[in-house]
Amino acid sequence: MSHDRTHHAHLATGKGDPQCFKGTAGPAKFKAGDKVRVKNMPDIFYTRTMMYTRGAVGEIAVATHESPVPEDEAWGHVDKSEWFYIVRFRQQDLWPEYPAAFPNDTLQTEFSERWLEAV
Amino acid sequence: MSSTTREEVLRHLTAVAELQPPVQKTGKAPYPSDMTHELFRAYTRSPHDVGGEYDIPCNWSDEEPEAWGYRAYVTTEVLAWRGVWCAEERRRMQNVDLGTTQYLGLPYYGRWLLSAARILVDKEHVTLTELINKIDEVKKRHEPR
Amino acid sequence: MSNDHDHDHDHGHGHRPPAPMVEEISDFEALEIAVRELSIEKGLFTAEDHRRFTEFAEHIGPTPAARMVAKAWLDPEYKKLCLTDAIKASFAVGVDWLNPTGFGTPSDYTDLRVLEDTPTRHHVVVCTLCSCYPRPILGFQPEWYRTPNYRRRLVRWPRQVLAEFGLSLPAEVEVRVEDSNQKCRFIVMPVRPVGTDGWSEDQLTEIVTRDCLIGVALPKAGRTSNIKLPIHHAVNPAHH
Repeated sequence: MSHDRTHHAHLATGKGDPQCFKGTAGPAKFKAGDKVRVKNMPDIFYTRTMMYTRGAVGEIAVATHESPVPEDEAWGHVDKSEWFYIVRFRQQDLWPEYPAAFPNDTLQTEFSERWLEAV
Repeated sequence: MSSTTREEVLRHLTAVAELQPPVQKTGKAPYPSDMTHELFRAYTRSPHDVGGEYDIPCNWSDEEPEAWGYRAYVTTEVLAWRGVWCAEERRRMQNVDLGTTQYLGLPYYGRWLLSAARILVDKEHVTLTELINKIDEVKKRHEPR
Repeated sequence: MSNDHDHDHDHGHGHRPPAPMVEEISDFEALEIAVRELSIEKGLFTAEDHRRFTEFAEHIGPTPAARMVAKAWLDPEYKKLCLTDAIKASFAVGVDWLNPTGFGTPSDYTDLRVLEDTPTRHHVVVCTLCSCYPRPILGFQPEWYRTPNYRRRLVRWPRQVLAEFGLSLPAEVEVRVEDSNQKCRFIVMPVRPVGTDGWSEDQLTEIVTRDCLIGVALPKAGRTSNIKLPIHHAVNPAHH
């Protein structure tokens, strides 16, 4: 498979990355406020969906941008995109020993759409 | 020269023994029946995924980078600038493919550098023979006379 | 980097120092030279490309991000821009996120987000998977930010880690950890501290340290530097 080293520069010059993928992922499945669970999908060889988030239930904070997913981009494939979302969790829900003294603490991190399911 | 190399070889055999995982004490790979789903996930995890693991409270410190480290950083970014790879390929090779032992044992920019060398070979821009010969040539350039 | 090779080893008497001489290059230094020279020989990039990116890397630092926060404290309209379009807001502090390639830096992308602290919410940033950091507006990460220790513990025991940096927050304040694991990059916009009434943009910029922009410190009138930490020096440091 030939590798065109000018591809990304042509795609993204003057726009930036992930801006260059805007409009390529179709409609976003989720919106701010939606309750979602992180799926525990197989993650052989590469993942950027941290183990500590799997199975946790959180809330969509914001839809950030469209981009190829890291599982594809890590091998140089940029032809497909997904929507990405920042999801917010209560620390009390992530860690069994998180002190009850700090009930308001949260954590948020970003997922591509495939990793999330509606609750 | 040959006695120094032989001394290095013997030190190497001791050093690698210290990096072996504990299963090596049995002298062979575990039986498949001893491999639980939990162990499978632990062994096949992405080594960079450390969030939530236990670690000790620490005295924070800082580190002045070596000049070669900054040059390696620039090289990896320029390789991406010119389309040889993208940052995500680099992260995969540098933070996951290397494996846990190298991931935790090598200097930070050392991993950047190894990945840059690796991408040149993987994408067939250089052969491994060319890389080895070049490393050898560079080392010879800097040998004290 | 220069190496002095004018050593006269008297090999005839057979005594050779067991440790490598300081002037020899390390395995990493040799590999760095090899990779760079091969890349240029094979036409993958030019020496000029390397020089241009080096120049970019030598000029980044935390001041633009600090100034962004200071400007936001003084101008509610600019603050709104920071919170809705931080890339656009970056131009006002001299940062064009498309530099130096025309499409941004390969590792830092072009989606900056500003995390607004309130009196009841404090943000702190980590990248548990590697060390993602908004270099174009904040410079290079401190080494501690890259350590497995910080990345393991901040997401699970944030208040303990913050306490080790000297930051203790009341229990009612929400500590919000941002795990920066994809293409977005984050800086924290702290609450403007007391004792800064009437201050100029320059004065305010001075107290927004890099530690404040990561979230391991709060800005304080009279404190213009990061937490003092022991520093491990390089054998052959870069000279800027």
